[in-house]
Amino acid sequence: MKSAMLIAATLVLAGACRALGQDASSERNALQTRYAVSVFDDATFYGDLRESLPVVLNQVLIEPSFGVRYRERLTFSTSLIGITRSYTDSATQLRVRETYGGISAGDFDFTAGRKMVRWGTGYAFTAAGVLDPPRIPTDPGDRLNVNQGRDLVKADYVRGKHAFTLVWSTAALAPAGVDLRDTTAFRYNVLVRGFDTSLIAGNDRGGDSFGGVTFTRVVGQGWEIHGEGLWREQAAALLGAKCTLHSGVTLIGELYTPPNIPYYRDMSISPRAGRQHYGFFNAGKSRLRELPGWKEWDLSGSIVANLDDRSFTGVVDVNRWFGNHFSSYLHLEIPHGGETSDYGAAPYNTASSIGVRFQL
Amino acid sequence: MSNVNCILRSFLFLLLLGFLMTCAFVCHAASIPAPNAEALLKQSDTYRNGWPAYVVHVKITDFEAGKSDEEHLYEVSQKGTDKTYVEFMSPREKGRHLLMLGDDMWVYLPDTSRPVRITPLERLTGDASNGDVARTNYAVDYSPAYVRTEKVGAVECHVLELTAKRKGATYQRILYWVRADDARPVRAEFYLTSGKHIKSATFDEYEPFGGKILLHKLTLYDEIRHNSHSVLEYSGAAQRELPDKLFYQGRADRF
Repeated sequence: MKSAMLIAATLVLAGACRALGQDASSERNALQTRYAVSVFDDATFYGDLRESLPVVLNQVLIEPSFGVRYRERLTFSTSLIGITRSYTDSATQLRVRETYGGISAGDFDFTAGRKMVRWGTGYAFTAAGVLDPPRIPTDPGDRLNVNQGRDLVKADYVRGKHAFTLVWSTAALAPAGVDLRDTTAFRYNVLVRGFDTSLIAGNDRGGDSFGGVTFTRVVGQGWEIHGEGLWREQAAALLGAKCTLHSGVTLIGELYTPPNIPYYRDMSISPRAGRQHYGFFNAGKSRLRELPGWKEWDLSGSIVANLDDRSFTGVVDVNRWFGNHFSSYLHLEIPHGGETSDYGAAPYNTASSIGVRFQL
Repeated sequence: MSNVNCILRSFLFLLLLGFLMTCAFVCHAASIPAPNAEALLKQSDTYRNGWPAYVVHVKITDFEAGKSDEEHLYEVSQKGTDKTYVEFMSPREKGRHLLMLGDDMWVYLPDTSRPVRITPLERLTGDASNGDVARTNYAVDYSPAYVRTEKVGAVECHVLELTAKRKGATYQRILYWVRADDARPVRAEFYLTSGKHIKSATFDEYEPFGGKILLHKLTLYDEIRHNSHSVLEYSGAAQRELPDKLFYQGRADRF
């Protein structure tokens, strides 16, 4: 691990030296900054709890982000999450969503720190997102922005349509309770004949080697198809499509089949259950502008199902904007299935979250 | 009697003269070649794309029933005729980016941190669509044909009919009015494949930026919901050297 850290540090230093040595006279403004702040006040009400737990979960989240870039060469970005949660007890926590520095030198980019990397092309599931934060099919958009990045050193080389990325990620700084390993991964990405295609290969320290492919492609005026396949002991595959209608309604469908191995297995699935098959369908429209007075409303409904035990969860999301800074939302989950099934195992019959969000 | 003959002869002479003059005028008019539609379109594009690589700020104000109800801010970086990178700057959309390479388009959403592929139909959402902001080189996307010359207000204009070269273009047909003197865009009507007239535009104001006269204000009218329109204001246009990797679709670590 020490040698890997040393190599990473050398790469970053070499990039820094080269970056600072380049003529930047024709660059954009020397120093650019970006900032954003989000504040959430969220309450989740659980209906018909099967266990003796509080009915209401209250959360307040403050999420400041700040980024600075110098001469298009040096970048520093940080995004933090402060959470105060009241449920069985009250707790306050500070999480680092991302904090990283980057150096750009010619065709090379070097990044070190905690950073979100998403290589998977799936919306609700991912087979090949080896460094991605976990996808939650009932909340694929991570509505409270609580996902955290991986601690990594990354080198990108972009030349024309071709891009090569090498990442080494350590699990040493991962949050407690998260089952991660040190990962070394390589990705080659190219856009050819409309196919945005990536080849991925790598290794988990003390674990498996893996290799896979992802793609996306737009077909005609309203269709997009995407897919992922990864071999890690056994094959995992995802195939999905998005269809946009003339009305602006977007439909997304995905089929996903992971092998029942520890890396992919959900807590509620028995190790003896065999390969699992999942389906996801979403219909949504942002901005109901065709209805007078509904321009500020976004509406979406999803269903995610385990096709083997026939359990599913229905999800409804409603969002309403008030001006440029405030919005309110409703997120409703209705699980269905046997108590030992994948989605039916949830200890409630409904979970409705309502909240307000401020963005600056 | 001779007076009558004299008057008739004079009348016939004047009639003949009038006929000959009309013929001469028509022949002369017919001999004027129709304007070169390709050249006009290329020239008109220069009022929106001043340099081979540049950055411009765009402010879009949406109006509903005559009242402004929303503002969006964008920083648009364009290189060549087919590479556009748009950074969303307004609080509501902060962190979002849009990349267009030829007909392929991706949006980077802060909550997913990955490029999401956009279909051509998704480009059309909103009064001012993604395509309106990101795609301004009509000569690359459309084949022009000269239709007629007519006045728009007091301005003499050539009317061009633009037909999409590929299915991936934002619109399938555009009727485009450009000023006869200098090909400056004046007005446009946008149509879908179905023939539906979806939007109209007026090119309202031009201003000097970096020694060039460029479009400063454009108004887009929704022809389906007639009480809504958007005003696009362009500012701070400047020539820049933009690295190729800014336009790489797999680059998720956008600033």
